[in-house]
Amino acid sequence: MTVKRIGFMQKLLAFSGVDPERLLLKWVSSAEGPRFARVVTEFTEKIRGLGPSPLADARAGKQPAAMTSAEAS
Amino acid sequence: MVEQVREHVRKLLTEGQISAFLGLRDQDSNILPYVFEKPEDLDDGFTLGEVEGALPARYPLAKLLMVLVSADPDKKFGILVRGCDERALYELVRWNQLPGAADRFVKVGFACPQELADAHECRKPFPDECVAGEKAQPVMNASVKEIDAKDLPERLEYWSRVFDRCIKCYGCRDVCPVCFCNACTLEENTLIRTGDLPPENPIFHLTRAAHMAGRCIDCNLCTEVCPAEIPLRTLYKKVAEIVQEEFGYVTGEPGDAKSPLNFLGPDPGHTSAHD
Repeated sequence: MTVKRIGFMQKLLAFSGVDPERLLLKWVSSAEGPRFARVVTEFTEKIRGLGPSPLADARAGKQPAAMTSAEAS
Repeated sequence: MVEQVREHVRKLLTEGQISAFLGLRDQDSNILPYVFEKPEDLDDGFTLGEVEGALPARYPLAKLLMVLVSADPDKKFGILVRGCDERALYELVRWNQLPGAADRFVKVGFACPQELADAHECRKPFPDECVAGEKAQPVMNASVKEIDAKDLPERLEYWSRVFDRCIKCYGCRDVCPVCFCNACTLEENTLIRTGDLPPENPIFHLTRAAHMAGRCIDCNLCTEVCPAEIPLRTLYKKVAEIVQEEFGYVTGEPGDAKSPLNFLGPDPGHTSAHD
């Protein structure tokens, strides 16, 4: 089910203006520690290369006060 | 046209082929869904939804049938269907929302006028079998291509702008003939912040769009009711396009195909995410 949803979601994100490369699906077993570390590190590096999310920008720019008060409460 | 349909329904009721008929009634010029139980009820306000000087009124009758069928397990209902209502019925049967399916309802179909088909850019403005009306030409919608032609930042800017108009009335969900979940993700605070207005953008609308995958039958009711004029249709059209590309599935068609996101396991042609 998940593999079906992710392929779909990547295309929907692209249509909405979000880089589909920001969504990744990988299967890692609990016995594959080194692989888990590698997958996460690689993806983190990739995201860093893509820069901050345009969605985070839009939200932070629009309602800075609301967000701060929500975080404080 | 209304006479032909009325007499057809009268025959079904009189002969006892159905216990009641779910259609539309003109009540002091307000058109509302109505359950006709006796043949003589048909003489009081039976309508196909025509409104003077405007497009015909439509309602998600398939969704109401779902309620009737589960509330009255012994009855068989007749239901008034346009092309879109029929697509909704096909889809609801597939999603197991109309138990007993064909034994529980009888469709009374009629074709929509070209004017209505044009207004809603309808892909099939008539059901498979029509009691009345002449079949209008299907109309294509080009709005998806307009968005596809934009680059990523332009698309984001466009959708952020239209989604920001949302007043979170849930009209799109409530009118949707294929929205049948008892608990709705859109009202689940742990998944979407529920106190915000406009709702969390674009999470709110993308969540609904994702839930339309393999379900939306392209009736255009959501776009018609939206007070903020959000082009939801375009979004769900794209969803349908992706579902067709990825799984070869088209909603609202007869046959025993399964909706791809309604069963576990990969679809043929899909491999796992292992590398």
